Amino acid sequence: MWKLLKNDFLIERTNKKNMIACLIVAIFVFGFFSYTKIENSQRLIDEKASEYQSVASALTKFQTADAMDYGNGSDLYYNLLQQQRYVVNQSMAMKVDRPQLYLESGIKLAELRANAFDMEGYEKVATNLPSRTENQLDSLFYQFMDRTGMVVTQDALSFFPFLLDLFMVLGSFWFIFMSIFSCGILIEEFHHTSLIKGYPVSFDKYVLAKCASSMFWVGILIAEIFICSLPFIYFYGLGDANYPVAIFDGNFKVIPTIEYIGIALVYIILISIFTVLLSVILNVLLKNMYLTLFVQLLLFIAPSLFPSLVSLVPFNPFNYMNFTNLLNGHSLELAEPVELEMLHGLIYIGISTVLMLIGVKLFFTTGKLKKV
Amino acid sequence: MRAYFKFEFIQFLFNKKNIAIYVILLFLACFYALKIAPSYDPIEKVDRDEIEARFLTREDFLNNVVIDENSYPLTRFAAAIYPEWNEYDKQRLDALDSNRLREYAGSTYKWYEYSDYMIFRNGNGLLYYNPRYYTAGNLYATEDGHYAYMYSASRYKGYAQGDSELSMDVFEERTALQTLQRLLHGYLPIILLVCCILFTADIVLKDKRNLTVIKGFPISVWRRLVVKGGVALIGSSLTIIPLSIGFIIVAIQHGMGDLNLPVPIFSYEARAFTTITMGEYLFQNVLLMLFWFLLLISLLLLLSIQIRHEFANLVLGCVVVFAEFYYYVRGLGFVKEIQWYPSSYVQVGQIVAGYREYLNNSASLTFENGIAVMSVCTAIILLVTLIISKTKRFKYL
Amino acid sequence: MIELRSIGVNFSGRDILKEVSITFHPGEIIGLVAPNGTGKSTLMNVIMNYLQPNSGKVRFNNELEYTTKKNEVKIHKLLSMMPDQSDLYNHLSGKQHLKLYSSMWDSNPQLIENTIAALGMESYVNKKTGTYSLGMRQRLCFAMQIVSDTQIMLMDEVMNGLDPTQVEIISQILVKKREEGKTIIIASHLLENLEKYANRIFFVKNGNLDSTEDIHRNLGVNGNMVIRVPEGTPELKQKLSVAFPELDIQLLANSVILIEFPKNESGTLENISAFLNENHEHQTFSVGKMTLSDLYSKYYH
Repeated sequence: MWKLLKNDFLIERTNKKNMIACLIVAIFVFGFFSYTKIENSQRLIDEKASEYQSVASALTKFQTADAMDYGNGSDLYYNLLQQQRYVVNQSMAMKVDRPQLYLESGIKLAELRANAFDMEGYEKVATNLPSRTENQLDSLFYQFMDRTGMVVTQDALSFFPFLLDLFMVLGSFWFIFMSIFSCGILIEEFHHTSLIKGYPVSFDKYVLAKCASSMFWVGILIAEIFICSLPFIYFYGLGDANYPVAIFDGNFKVIPTIEYIGIALVYIILISIFTVLLSVILNVLLKNMYLTLFVQLLLFIAPSLFPSLVSLVPFNPFNYMNFTNLLNGHSLELAEPVELEMLHGLIYIGISTVLMLIGVKLFFTTGKLKKV
Repeated sequence: MRAYFKFEFIQFLFNKKNIAIYVILLFLACFYALKIAPSYDPIEKVDRDEIEARFLTREDFLNNVVIDENSYPLTRFAAAIYPEWNEYDKQRLDALDSNRLREYAGSTYKWYEYSDYMIFRNGNGLLYYNPRYYTAGNLYATEDGHYAYMYSASRYKGYAQGDSELSMDVFEERTALQTLQRLLHGYLPIILLVCCILFTADIVLKDKRNLTVIKGFPISVWRRLVVKGGVALIGSSLTIIPLSIGFIIVAIQHGMGDLNLPVPIFSYEARAFTTITMGEYLFQNVLLMLFWFLLLISLLLLLSIQIRHEFANLVLGCVVVFAEFYYYVRGLGFVKEIQWYPSSYVQVGQIVAGYREYLNNSASLTFENGIAVMSVCTAIILLVTLIISKTKRFKYL
Repeated sequence: MIELRSIGVNFSGRDILKEVSITFHPGEIIGLVAPNGTGKSTLMNVIMNYLQPNSGKVRFNNELEYTTKKNEVKIHKLLSMMPDQSDLYNHLSGKQHLKLYSSMWDSNPQLIENTIAALGMESYVNKKTGTYSLGMRQRLCFAMQIVSDTQIMLMDEVMNGLDPTQVEIISQILVKKREEGKTIIIASHLLENLEKYANRIFFVKNGNLDSTEDIHRNLGVNGNMVIRVPEGTPELKQKLSVAFPELDIQLLANSVILIEFPKNESGTLENISAFLNENHEHQTFSVGKMTLSDLYSKYYH
C-alpha cells in the first residue's frame, strides 16, 4: 500500500495536469482580485440606492389615493413607505460615515420587512423586496453588529474579507472544477490494464492510493489559494478575521469570517474526496473520461433543473455540493422549501463517500478491468 | 486529404463523448422547450387589464383635477403629461378590443416612446418603469427599464411598419424564432462554445493512442490540423440538429415566427435603436459564432501540439470563454479598452443586438469589431501553429 | 531506392548509429538483425524521419530528402512503416483499417480483398480489432502495410506472435512483393526464416551495419563447417581447445559448443568426432553448414 502510494506520487509529480491545475488556481485568485477591486469601492451605498428604487417602484403598484389618508391605506403601503425612509437613512448614514445609524436603521428596516411578509397583497411586491431568508440573514447581521459594537466596513480587499469572497465563489463551482480535475483519474491506467491487473494489491487499496495522491494535490491547490492571497496582506492589510457573516446552517446565525472559511475548507475537502471517488467508480463503469465528466455535471445540476427533487430526496449529496447556496439558505426559497442543514450535508457527503468505498471494495477487482 | 477527412469525421461521429454531447444538448433543448419556454413570463407583455387599470386611474385623475395657481407642482406635472399618455393607452385598448393588431403595435410603439421619454428624462424619483425591473438587489433597474422601453418601442414600430403576421405570441416574443433570439441573447452561445471546446479537446490528442497507425500517413502535420479543425468546426455546427428539435417543439406551441420580424439593434453612438430583420440578426449571430468556433478550435489545436494534454485544452479553453465574467463590470468599457479582448464578444446575441455596448458604455463592442478582433486573433494563432508545424524539428505528438 | 549517407545518431553521448552509409535498391529484401537496443528501430525511425539524425541524410530515388515538411509528405507517399499492433483502433474492424490505409495511400482498392484472401483473414476481418488475438492483430498490421502498396516498406518484428504456417504465408507475400520491385526492410529475430528470402542481411553492432557477407569474409569463415555439441560445459570446451588449438571453439549461452573448421579438411572432422565420443558420452552432435544463427552467435559473442 505505501509502496503503491509512493509510486503514485512519483507518477503524479510529473503529470502535466497538476501543473496546469496549479496555474489555473493562480489565475483564478489573481483574476478574482482584480474583479473585487473594480467591483468593490462603494458596494453598500450602491446597494442602498438600488433598494430605494425597488421600494419606490413597489409603491407605484398602489393607488395614489392610499397615500392621501394613512388611516384607509393598506398596511403594506404604510409599511413600504416606512421601509423607504429607513433605506434612505441607511444610505445617508454610509455617506456621512455614521455606522451606528446605519445599523439602527437596518434593524428597524429588517423588522418592518419581517412584518410585511404576512400582510395582505405581499405577493404583488415580492420581487421588489428581499426574500424572507435574505431579510433574516440581514437582520441577524445588523443585530450582531449592534450588540458587539463592531463597525460596518465596505472593505473587501484585505486578506480575510478577500478570502471570504473567494471561498463563497469557490463554493459554487468547486465540484465542477474537481470533476474536470479528476474525471480521467483511472483512464490513463486503463490503457495499460495489464500493468495494474497484476499488482499484488486489491483494487480498493489501489483506489485508496490513487485518491490519496489526488487529495495530496488538492491540498497543494488549497494551500496555493492561501499563498496567492498573501501578497494582498502587504497592500491592503489583514482585515478583520472576526467580521461577522450571517449564515443558515439549520438555524439562522452569525459566525466570524474565519469560521466561514473553516467550514468552506471542510466542505471543499469532503467534496474533493467525494468527487475523486465518484470519478473512480464512473471511470470503471463508463471507461470514458468525458462520459464521467458529463454524468457528474448532470448529477450536479439535477437539483437545479428539477427543484422538487430536493424536497423529495433531501439526503441526495448533490443538494449540498454548492455550499455557498447552502449557507445562504437557498433551499428555503425553493417552490417547496426544504431546510438543508450544513451539518447534514457533511454527514450525507461523508456517508456517500463511505458507501462508495464499500462499493469499490465489494464489486470491483483489478482482474475484471478491461482495456479501454 | 479527402480520405483523411472522411476518416477523421467518422471517428468524430462515433466518439462516445461527442455522441454524449449531442444527446445532452437534445435533452437540454427539449427540457427548455417543454419546461422553461412555456413558463416564460416577459415583463413587457400584452396585458389588457393592466392598461385599462392605468388608463382609468389617470382618466379619473384628469377628470377631477382642477389646475390653478394653488396646484401642487407635481399635480401640474401629472396633469400636463397624462393626457397624451392616456391617449395612447386608449388607442391600445381600442385596438385590442377590435383585434386590430397592427394598430395596437402602432400605438404601443408611441406609448413606449412617450413613456421612456417621460420616465428617463423627466421622471427621476417620480415616475418608474415597470416595477418588475426594480427587483431586490438590481443596481441598474432604471437603466434596464430604459433599455427595455426603447427596445420595445423600436420593436413595435417595426411590427407596425412591417408586413409580418402579428399575434400575441409575436408581441410577447414567444414564437420559435424569437425564442431563439432570446436564447442567443442569453446563455446559448456560451453553451455552444463549451460544446466546441469539448469537441476539440481530444481531436488531436486521441491520436496518441494509435500513434504508429497514423504517424506515417503521407499528409503533413499542418494539413492534418486543418482537417481536424474542419471536422471540429463541422461537428460544432451540427449542434444545430439537436437544438432544432427544441426549436420545432416551440414552433408547434407558439408558431414559428417569421424571418422578416424586426429585431431592434442598439447603437451606442446614436443612443438609439434601429431594426434589422430576424433573418439578418440570425445570420450575424451565426457568423460571429463561426468566428468564435474558429478561434477556439485554432487555439485548442495549438495547445494540443504544444502542451499536449487534454486537461489543459479543457481548462484553458474555458478560461477564454469565461474570462469576461472576471473583468466585466457594468460601464467598464468607458474606462478600459475591453473591445480588444476577444472574450468581450462571448455573448454573441448581445453583441449583435448592441446590448453589450449599452452595458459597457462603449461604442466599440460592435459586431464588426467582434469579427475583426476574432479574425485577427485566429489568424495569429493559426500562423503560430503553421510556423511550428513547419519547423523541421517539430514532432507530431 | 534509399540512400543513407553517413547517418549518425547519438543519445546522451552514446552512439547508436555511427556514420552509417548504405544504399537499398528496388526489388530487394533487407534483413536487419541485432539484439534489442542496438539501433534497428532507430535506423527505421531515421528513415521515416521520426527521428532526426545528428549527422548525415537519407535520400530517396536520387532526388528526395527530408529538407522540408513538404518533402516529408512526398517521401511518406513512397514509404510506409508497419503499425504497432497495440496501436490499432479497437473499435474499428480489420477491414476498416485496411480501407483506411488503402485510401490514405490511394492504392488500388482491389488489393484489400486480395490481401485478405492471401492472409486468410476472411473469418474475422469484419470484427472489431478489440476482439483479435495477438497473431490476428499482427497479421492485420502486416496486411495494412501491404494494402498501402508503397514502394518502400519498413517492418519491425513482422513475424512476432505468428505460427509457422503464418510465417510461411507472409514470407511468400514478401517474396512476391520483391518481385514487384518493392524495397522491403525487415527487422527480425527469426533468423532462419529471414535467411530464406532476404537478399542482404545486416547485423547492427556498435553503431555499424555489417553485411553478413562481409562478416563471413572478415571472419574467414566463408564456407566453413560447424559441429554443434549440445549440453556442453566449460570443462569440455577447455579440453577441446587444448586438443584442437587451431580451431575456433565457442561455448554459447544455450550450452551449445560450436566447433568450426574449414570445409575441405575432412580429417579434422573425424578427429573431433573421435574426441567427442570419448569425452562427451551419450550425447549426439551434429555437423552442418554454418547458419545465420551460428554467425549471429559468433558475431555477438
